[in-house]
Amino acid sequence: MTKSSILSGTDLSKKYGDLEVVKNVSLAIDAGEFVCLVGKSGCGKTTLLSILSGLEKPTKGQVILNGKEIDGASEDELALFRRENVGFIFQSFNLIPTLSAWENVALPLFPINMTNEERRKRAKELLDKMELGHRIEHLPSALSGGEKQRVAIARALVNHPKIIFADEPTGNLDSSTGEAIMDILNKLHRDEGVAILMVTHEAELAKAANRVIRMKDGEVVS
Amino acid sequence: MNLRYMTKELYYQKRRTLMSILGLSIGIALLIILNSLSLAYRQAAHVPLKEIGADITVQRSGDVPKELTGAVFPCSAVTIRKEEVEKIQKLSGVKGIGTGLLLWVFDPNRAWIVLGIEKENSIGPSLLRSSVTEGRFLKDGKPEALVEQAYARQFGIKLNDTISVADKRFPVVGFVDASRAAKIAVANVYLPLKDAEDIAASSKGLQSVSPYVLGDVNLLFIKADQEKITGLASEMKGILGNKATVATPESFLKLLGSLFALSDKFTLAASLIAIIVAVLIAFKTMAGNIAERAREIGVLKAVGWTNRNVVSQLMLESVTQCFIAGVLGLLIALVVSFGLSFMKVNIPIPWEMSPTPHFLPGGGDQIFKTLRLPVQVPWSLAFFAILLSIIIGGMTGGLLGRHISKIKPSEVLRHD
Repeated sequence: MTKSSILSGTDLSKKYGDLEVVKNVSLAIDAGEFVCLVGKSGCGKTTLLSILSGLEKPTKGQVILNGKEIDGASEDELALFRRENVGFIFQSFNLIPTLSAWENVALPLFPINMTNEERRKRAKELLDKMELGHRIEHLPSALSGGEKQRVAIARALVNHPKIIFADEPTGNLDSSTGEAIMDILNKLHRDEGVAILMVTHEAELAKAANRVIRMKDGEVVS
Repeated sequence: MNLRYMTKELYYQKRRTLMSILGLSIGIALLIILNSLSLAYRQAAHVPLKEIGADITVQRSGDVPKELTGAVFPCSAVTIRKEEVEKIQKLSGVKGIGTGLLLWVFDPNRAWIVLGIEKENSIGPSLLRSSVTEGRFLKDGKPEALVEQAYARQFGIKLNDTISVADKRFPVVGFVDASRAAKIAVANVYLPLKDAEDIAASSKGLQSVSPYVLGDVNLLFIKADQEKITGLASEMKGILGNKATVATPESFLKLLGSLFALSDKFTLAASLIAIIVAVLIAFKTMAGNIAERAREIGVLKAVGWTNRNVVSQLMLESVTQCFIAGVLGLLIALVVSFGLSFMKVNIPIPWEMSPTPHFLPGGGDQIFKTLRLPVQVPWSLAFFAILLSIIIGGMTGGLLGRHISKIKPSEVLRHD
């Protein structure tokens, strides 16, 4: 791990029974870097992303995220660490259907001791940035796919993360909406200096990244 | 815990929320109704005794009169000696005693049921004072009579007439309406206790069956500590012997025969079943609800909610639903209880306590005290039911929350 690395994984492996889905992977991501993890479906990209983000523990190896070794941390320690350092964007948005756009954005702030007004203010700032300031009270069911993903991006940013993990963020969107989402991610990385690790199986999308890491059968091939 | 999240979850998931609330509210309503009914039967069982201002009545069975002439004791109420009354008076838990002397008087052309009463004692038949429909109640130191209104009408007895009972003459000073009075310790003619004692003491037929001296009685009306009634009943049987008939609210309850009246155990068992059903309904519905939300819980954990945050949130939802269910159950129970309070209950009066000779017309008929079942939900029961709902909510939310919070976000959030 270099001085400027925000994330590093060393000799990471993950086994489910006899099946080894991630094999001795080592990688590092610098602060503010936009890295794409590409590979075919089932090559272990998502599992590696889960390990690096602290959602899953490796069978072997070490993960250091923002200077903290997270592979040995407890569930609750990991949750608190994610709350303070990490943002997530998922392929299927994973918005809470009963909460409005701003409440979904503020979801990571709910366990924090602050007023609803403060939460709403912070969420509105981000939704304004996503050009969704007029949709803050709408439920996810009233939003288009692109709007849902923009709400999810706002949610990923609400806690001022050092790094965002994006798992196929355009996978459920049409090409033009997907491009718009990629523009937002690029802008985030460029203007705000947030590091991004994005998983995709579309080589075209990876062109936007500073660096591309290719995976095949659980191993990093380039 | 976030109230906003909780209210939105309950509001937008209406079907889920309603199912949970309705299921539990029915269980809670059942619990309240069963206990209110049981309580109502218990209160009803107090009524026959309460009507004569007593908690216990005591009499003693004896031999059948040899001849039905002059004054005799009914075989169900023979002499209780003065010393026995004094012993009973000294028992711990006895708050006061009223006495009475019940006689059957067979005059040549008429049969009287005569009750000698203590005019100033608030325990016992002197409560008839409020049932005087014409004339006045008995006064101290005067040999005078009160006559039961229907009996007076039947035999053409008028106010201020003089009636002859066992060769003694009594002016009629008032009429009483026995239908408004108690079903026990009733008679055709009410005399001052002293005059009834004189009649009993001078009756050879009575003396030959059940020796009697002035001061003895054959009916006792006892006011007692509620907690000590059962114990007192057996102590009194100890003093008066096996032939004593001791009537208590408990003995009337047994006569009622209803499942609710028969035993505390039935009510307890039925309440337990209602609680278990309520808990199972709440648990099953909420378990289904929470299982449906596995992905949502995964999102919460991924964005930084700790297990404790998740459990607290689910507990808040569960406690709120169960509290609403408890309130709804209470409202259902109040409505049902109001409906049940129109139900009539017939409390049978044991034949020993019926003053009418069984060989006279209507004497063999079973007498009932009929009253509206006093069903009402006591505050303590309502409070317990609401508290129980909250506890069920807390336990259900806590257990299910702990279980679901163990899921790994990576397992439920893998893209489809």
